[in-house]
Amino acid sequence: MTKADIRWDLEVDWVAVGSGLAGLTSAIVAHDLGKQVVVLDKAPKLGGLSGYGGGEVFVPNNHKMVELGLEDSIDSGRTYFEFISAGFSDPALMDRLFENMHAAIEYVEKEAGVRWLAVEGLPDYYYPKAPGSHSGGRYLSVDLFDGSTLGEWQTRSFLTPHVPQGVLHRELYEWGGLAKVTEWNYELIGQRITEDKRSFGPGMMGYFIKAAMIDRGIPAYVETPVEELIQEDGRVVGVRAKREGADFFVRARTGVLLAIGGYDHNKKMACEYEAMHEWNSATPPYLHGDHMVMGPEIGAAIAAVPPTNLAMFFGYNIPGEESEGAPLYRTSWECGCPHAIWVNRQGERFCDEAFYKDYQPRLRSWDGAKQEMPNIPPYLIFDQNYRDRYPLGSYMPGMELPGELVETADTPRELAEKLGVDADGLEKTLDRYNEFAARGEDPDFGSGSYAWSVRLTGDQSYPNPCVGPLNKAPYYGIKLVPVSVGINSHGLRTNTNGQVMHVRGAPIPGLYAAGNSAALLDLGGGYQSGTSNMRAITWGYITGRHAAGGE
Amino acid sequence: MAQTEYSTTANLPLETIWDFVQEMDNWAQLVTGYQEHVKESATDSLWTLKGDVGVLARKVQFKVHIVEWNGPERVRFELKGLNEPLEGEGIFTMTADSGDAEASEPSSQNWFTRMIEALVRLFVKRKQGAVERDVPVSGGSRLTFNLRIDPGGPMAPMINAMMQPAMNVAAEDLSNRILSELEQRQNQVS
Ligand SMILES: Cc1cc2nc3c(=O)[nH]c(=O)nc-3n(C[C@H](O)[C@H](O)[C@H](O)COP(=O)(O)OP(=O)(O)OC[C@H]3O[C@@H](n4cnc5c(N)ncnc54)[C@H](O)[C@@H]3O)c2cc1C
Repeated sequence: MTKADIRWDLEVDWVAVGSGLAGLTSAIVAHDLGKQVVVLDKAPKLGGLSGYGGGEVFVPNNHKMVELGLEDSIDSGRTYFEFISAGFSDPALMDRLFENMHAAIEYVEKEAGVRWLAVEGLPDYYYPKAPGSHSGGRYLSVDLFDGSTLGEWQTRSFLTPHVPQGVLHRELYEWGGLAKVTEWNYELIGQRITEDKRSFGPGMMGYFIKAAMIDRGIPAYVETPVEELIQEDGRVVGVRAKREGADFFVRARTGVLLAIGGYDHNKKMACEYEAMHEWNSATPPYLHGDHMVMGPEIGAAIAAVPPTNLAMFFGYNIPGEESEGAPLYRTSWECGCPHAIWVNRQGERFCDEAFYKDYQPRLRSWDGAKQEMPNIPPYLIFDQNYRDRYPLGSYMPGMELPGELVETADTPRELAEKLGVDADGLEKTLDRYNEFAARGEDPDFGSGSYAWSVRLTGDQSYPNPCVGPLNKAPYYGIKLVPVSVGINSHGLRTNTNGQVMHVRGAPIPGLYAAGNSAALLDLGGGYQSGTSNMRAITWGYITGRHAAGGE
Repeated sequence: MAQTEYSTTANLPLETIWDFVQEMDNWAQLVTGYQEHVKESATDSLWTLKGDVGVLARKVQFKVHIVEWNGPERVRFELKGLNEPLEGEGIFTMTADSGDAEASEPSSQNWFTRMIEALVRLFVKRKQGAVERDVPVSGGSRLTFNLRIDPGGPMAPMINAMMQPAMNVAAEDLSNRILSELEQRQNQVS
């Protein structure tokens, strides 16, 4: 739309579209540099996926590790990022990320009251195998946030079904991690819920929402999806949103930031861009990839990194489980515990199931002669040893598992037949796996060899916390489906200021993108937990400053 | 343990309420999150509800066993989860109203309760239509609904905290839905 005669409903300097980390960071920074700001969001609540996730923010050599005396350096962080990128990053964008990430997280701590804590003892994904990887301290997460300080936004900000409310990382590990979920301190969790103490993603976004909406009085409009960018002489000068069924025109004197996440709830787009036959998501159901329509509509370029080893999981929907009015898909972490493996249709293992950075590329392996992907779908297989100790999603040990989701059988052969998996293959696989597992070994795929898996999901009371034999009937099996977590391979191409690039090569004046809406060229072809939130904050900081002339 | 009591009044004779309440098919669909119920005998039935505790909704199946059938004053039932480790008890009490009490406040009124209630109410309103009744100041009949649910297993304290606000709304909603249904019927007749 290029109409000079639009009647603006609202005029500001900076329109932050999306109230996740990227949107709110830019809003706070632009406001602090004297700009008049508004935040628009499609969802009925603030916080976005950022407020629905784990809230880990990955920053090598961050000031909190320095305070704790943990040794690290920017150089080794950079080496690690280069390893993760697998050569698919744009060095100029990665440089910019490194130049700004520390300033960004320290800014929101000092100026916006975000109380960061370094997560001690949680290693980098690839530690100790990758160059530059660290044994623990690079992840930041927030201290408890008091939800009652959010005023009208207390009931209109995301909580999440994916992590327990009000538990700190430190506590989670002290209680034995995910494998010891039956032994967690539920009295304390109940008390924190009752007092609205928030942690993880909801806690982190609590600080940002308070800083932006309460402390600075930045107006936020929810249930206000932006549908179109408005240009004048090639410059983006505002947006057309929908509000209460009518067009709502907001003029942006300085610029518009698209920080509207990914396309996780646009199945068609996701299947095409991520090269999958099927698609489901663990994200809240408001991420439809509108940036991939609004941007190209005015000439914006799309860029991509390979989808092969980003953050995508496989998991399941427990029938009847819903969140935000949509089916709730959970990522499967079961294989990080002993007594559980994954097999393909041939009944064969094909990966280190405890480490999703190993399973993801192997899932995408392609049989060129048969023109098929032999490892999709994967089947999760576990036994009664597992059920006696560990949960399946929200089903604690002792609870009957839902028959619509889980097949149960007295023997592996019978289970394979029920699942449609090759029975000889499964029997053979279990014979071999069990022989080694009894000694805590996995010579085939090295399950339990990454300190991160061991720490997060392993049962520390086992010689190998991720490995144990499957030899106690009944046997259980689930056909798993893809479950996305917001990190997409395609996004809008941006430059080192976070400006969206035109397909012809120049930045589109007045248009910026950050967070998951911006292509992952700053990180390249891999993923490390916490880098998504880190880049959302950092590019939110960069764009807010650039637009406000505070570069 | 999560527990709630809701009490309200209506200008309806006790017998009218009793006639309605004693036949489960009449009000089953008025229960928040109702999916289905199957009567097994005069005293036993199997129910499926969609429990909604703010961040999560899940289908819960349980058996309801009526232990006291004392018309037109009181019905007491016990419930036991089939796919979830929970048990509990519910009591409908119907009395002639003396006129000195107003509709009770939900039992717990901390901020979290209010927040989830607000959300559940929004959800319930959207999905099933809100129930807004003019509660008579005095006279008529008083319907009181008590509900107690004990989740089992290690997570019980957390589930309690999550469930309490949703239960307050559910009890209030069921009581008001029953009475509103009867009031509408009465208005149609008169
Ligand atoms: C279970 C889970 C755990 C996770 N844990 C971590 C973790 O620990 N660390 C980490 O780094 N990452 C994690 N992630 C991913 C991470 O949360 C996200 O990648 C990140 O928060 C994205 O931030 P964002 O600002 O780009 O977008 P979002 O937070 O998704 O915000 C986008 C906002 O835009 C709104 N929107 C969408 N379309 C429109 C429109 N047309 N108009 C207006 N508004 C619109 C949405 O409603 C949303 O509020 C996790 C993800 C999941 C699912």
